Amino acid sequence: MTTLSNTPDKLQSSSASRTRCYGMMAEFATPGEIMKAAEKVRAAGYRWWDCHTPFPVHGLDNAMGISPTILPVFVFFAGLTGTMIAFGLQAFTNATDWSIWAFVWVTGYPFLISGKPLLSVPAFIPVMFELTILLSALTTFGLMFLLNGLPRLHHPLFTSNRFLRASDDRFFIVIEARDPRFRRQATRDFLEGLSPIAVEEVLDT
Amino acid sequence: MSHAALDAGRFDLSSQNLTLGAPASLLSRVLVIIGVVLLIVSGMMAWGTDDLAMVSKSYLVSFMWILAISLGGLFFTFVQHLTHAGWSVAVRRPAEVLAANLAWIWIFFLPIVFMWLRGDLDALFIWADMEHLRAHNPEEADVVAKKEAYLNTGFFFTRAVAYFVTWAILGTFFYRMSLKQDSEGGSRITDLLQKVSAPAALLFGLTVTFAAFDWLMSLSPAWFSTIFGVYFFAGTCTAGFSAMILICVYIQRSGRMKGLITSEHYQDLGKLLFAFGMVFWAYIGFSQYMLIWYGNIPEETGWFLSRQVGDWSLLSLALLAGHFIIPFLCLISRWPKRYPLFLMVGAVWMIIFAWLDLYWLVMPVIPEDVYTATSYTEFADAHENASTHLSTPINWSLFLGMACCYFGITLGRLRRHPLLPERDPRLKESLSFENI
Repeated sequence: MTTLSNTPDKLQSSSASRTRCYGMMAEFATPGEIMKAAEKVRAAGYRWWDCHTPFPVHGLDNAMGISPTILPVFVFFAGLTGTMIAFGLQAFTNATDWSIWAFVWVTGYPFLISGKPLLSVPAFIPVMFELTILLSALTTFGLMFLLNGLPRLHHPLFTSNRFLRASDDRFFIVIEARDPRFRRQATRDFLEGLSPIAVEEVLDT
Repeated sequence: MSHAALDAGRFDLSSQNLTLGAPASLLSRVLVIIGVVLLIVSGMMAWGTDDLAMVSKSYLVSFMWILAISLGGLFFTFVQHLTHAGWSVAVRRPAEVLAANLAWIWIFFLPIVFMWLRGDLDALFIWADMEHLRAHNPEEADVVAKKEAYLNTGFFFTRAVAYFVTWAILGTFFYRMSLKQDSEGGSRITDLLQKVSAPAALLFGLTVTFAAFDWLMSLSPAWFSTIFGVYFFAGTCTAGFSAMILICVYIQRSGRMKGLITSEHYQDLGKLLFAFGMVFWAYIGFSQYMLIWYGNIPEETGWFLSRQVGDWSLLSLALLAGHFIIPFLCLISRWPKRYPLFLMVGAVWMIIFAWLDLYWLVMPVIPEDVYTATSYTEFADAHENASTHLSTPINWSLFLGMACCYFGITLGRLRRHPLLPERDPRLKESLSFENI
């Protein structure tokens, strides 16, 4: 396991056979600088790249040209599923005498409560509401993890000592090597043209 | 944030961009004239009517509607100060102007005082004439008689004065202080308003709750619902936030506030309308409905029964669909809230449904046989022809007359000063505000 104190240079010499280039990283001092730089990276046509900042920088999504997430669509339909499951379950158990097989045989039990109709939607609404919220919330949480590529125990960026300051006071742009426009030297030159504090190659171990 | 500082020069804060021009002045006068004409026509239609109950209730609906819009504006204003909000500064002035209307809104309450002086108040509030009620419906009179310590004309109008004075003071205070900051600058007034908004919230909650009890719930004096004040409060949010959106869109359509109110602000106004005006309203409305429906006590269910027989059942369902389900689906996404014209259509829709909601609260009469009918079916059959009287012309002449007067006066006030608090310390933050 790589420790954070290893520098890329050491890594390269010790296990050159196992390392490959993950991407090129540029370091900036202020949100304004990274905003300008992000616009240029976007204009240069890179697609596999990201910004890392200590706090949310308003407008950065726009500058990077990130399209809105698809998550809300899933959440909407998960919520709708919850509504319908809750309605179906209550309608089945309270208003029908059907027998269905759900791993065991279960039978609906028509249960008259204070003279209300057997199928009375108002009484079902609290459970429908709760299950809608439950499925929406779980879907939001779970899919947020999956769409972000989580959980993962290791990320190549953590091999860089410089990158530690991404959670403190520095702003980073990383262009990944898998980007079709990535050329080791050309990309380094390009990033240096954005007047960063430093440019560094990140190695994947 | 330094990003904001970088682009400080891009905002056009010239007085040309910050004040409404002559067309607004003309529109304001035309609206007031149309409104006054419509109100006079309504008055002539109402004069010597044999159905004073219908006319006065119709008037009450439209009065409560303009009141709800103003209270929504007041709520928005003090909540922004209470939460030290930065995003809303650019759209706060329209809310302050709506709240400032509370200084004169009592004038529209005078017809009800006039009814009292003429001795006709019982046409609107049946508890005002207990002898008549007892002769007419002794069971209901027995219940209402126990509430006489609260429901009597003397105390009723004393409370009304207290509400109007409180609202006039609060509305005027927030409005005047904000104007004063335009010339004074600095953060002193912001600090002061933030301090005042906490007690203001308390007073607002109490007055709105009891005003709703007095002017809406006591129309059916035997009936009660403890959540009723909150329900009316949800309605003030619907009406007030819709009116704010409409005013903001109007200002920008007339070529002012260019680049100052952005789709970021519209999105947040849309969120507020969505959350308070639709979801919260439905939540409170359902909470009220379900407890009464489950409890199934005759003195409580009568109120809902009278709203689900005949044409009223259609209006109740229309309200559920039009005040909640349809706008919920239309405004749940991000883009409709960021697109001012779409949001404007939503706001027009919601402000009309806010009026229909009040109509639904005020208009139905609980039939007397609700206490004696032996089954729901029997009751529903007996009243299957119950009409909502929604198409009666006076409903619409009063509604449009009040709307024209109200927005005419609001517009007239809006064009007298800058359209945003130009020296608010958080203005820059608001102008460069972005949802992530």
